[in-house]
Amino acid sequence: MKRHLKVILLLISVTILQSTNLYANEEVSKSVISYDEIYDPIEPINRAVLNFNFFIDDIAIRPIVKTYKFIAPEPVEKGVSNFFSNLKEPIRTISFVFQGEFYKSFNSIGRFTINTFTSLGTFDLASRVGMEKNETDFGITLAKGGVSSGPYIVIPIIGPSNLRDFSGDVVEYFVDPISNNVPNREYIAIGNGLNERVEVDEQLDKVRDASSDRYEMIKSIYYQNRNAQLEEEYIQNLPVPKIYIE
Amino acid sequence: MKYLLIIFGVVFSFSTIQASEVSEWFEKESSQFLEIINNDEGTESDNYEKYKYFINKNFAIKSIAYGLIGENIINSSSKEELSIYLDVFTDYLIKTIYKLANTNTSSSITLKDVDIKDNIFIIKSEISDKKSSANLYWKVIDTGTSFKIIDVIVENTSYFVTKKSEFNKILRKNRGNLEALINEIQKI
Repeated sequence: MKRHLKVILLLISVTILQSTNLYANEEVSKSVISYDEIYDPIEPINRAVLNFNFFIDDIAIRPIVKTYKFIAPEPVEKGVSNFFSNLKEPIRTISFVFQGEFYKSFNSIGRFTINTFTSLGTFDLASRVGMEKNETDFGITLAKGGVSSGPYIVIPIIGPSNLRDFSGDVVEYFVDPISNNVPNREYIAIGNGLNERVEVDEQLDKVRDASSDRYEMIKSIYYQNRNAQLEEEYIQNLPVPKIYIE
Repeated sequence: MKYLLIIFGVVFSFSTIQASEVSEWFEKESSQFLEIINNDEGTESDNYEKYKYFINKNFAIKSIAYGLIGENIINSSSKEELSIYLDVFTDYLIKTIYKLANTNTSSSITLKDVDIKDNIFIIKSEISDKKSSANLYWKVIDTGTSFKIIDVIVENTSYFVTKKSEFNKILRKNRGNLEALINEIQKI
């Protein structure tokens, strides 16, 4: 029954996203978003959630992250990061299968096997033997299947997303073979969340004071990073200013 | 066929010369940039002055500033307003780049590749310190007398695209009022 529920959940999320016109501009590719046309119908709510997230970050998460970064030696920090990244290889394997990227799928499961058996995933030996990490997730799978991004949403504690990517995250949570087969999966989710926060700590510090509107800045950065995972020639295709004689 | 090969050869050798020129310029300027960001001896104001000089010399400031507000705002604003905006934006660019790049850890920049698309050089480099490394792309134009940077992309985040989103928002909120944007960016 639980298995059927997962499949139904996946189908529902895909169907809702495909059948409703949730993207702002018809001319824009459904999955790659134009930066001027990010669909954000619940902006006031999103802004309030972002402020709440920054508040929680300031009083609770940031101090933990800063203390951890101060205490943990560099190899420990790297090892923890590798450990959580390795736990995502099985779900990446499944995502790549759905995307028809079979080579990358084999690569992911190969990486998981090598890194788990040699160091429980704390050391990325696979990269040293030429099996480079390829990032992907269910949100990317849905985008490659032509599902539009839907409205931009800021999720409490978690951060920026959109309806498509968030649906992908929910599906991943239920389908992930690792978290489905370990006791206390919520600890893994919390650990993973904290690790991701550690990884963006420096960038987040810079966002705090190098922007006239941090909400817009974070939204733009989020979409740029997602588009980079979807477009082949992302850097080449980024908009550039018209040239004026100086 | 022979002529086609000659044309191809001329075009190819011309772009190779251009690529080597821009690489040479990049090596020189990036080492100066590194000297500034790795400098932990001078005072903060000394360092800031060096940033200012570097950005004024190497960035296509007017193109970036005008590109961020778009043609409609440029056409509907007076020369005086645009001149004030350009001055304020120059200061904003220096401050934001300073905040994003300033670090006390020793970094190095390695040139990886140079590509050309629509007369814009895309320089791929890698910035690294003892802890980590990141891809750093520079979009550069040849003005005839020098090379000028029109965008900097750290990993996948473009300075131009990010600031355009921010500026668009401020302009939309204030019905295209350039003065409101000037006041807002002066707060940084």
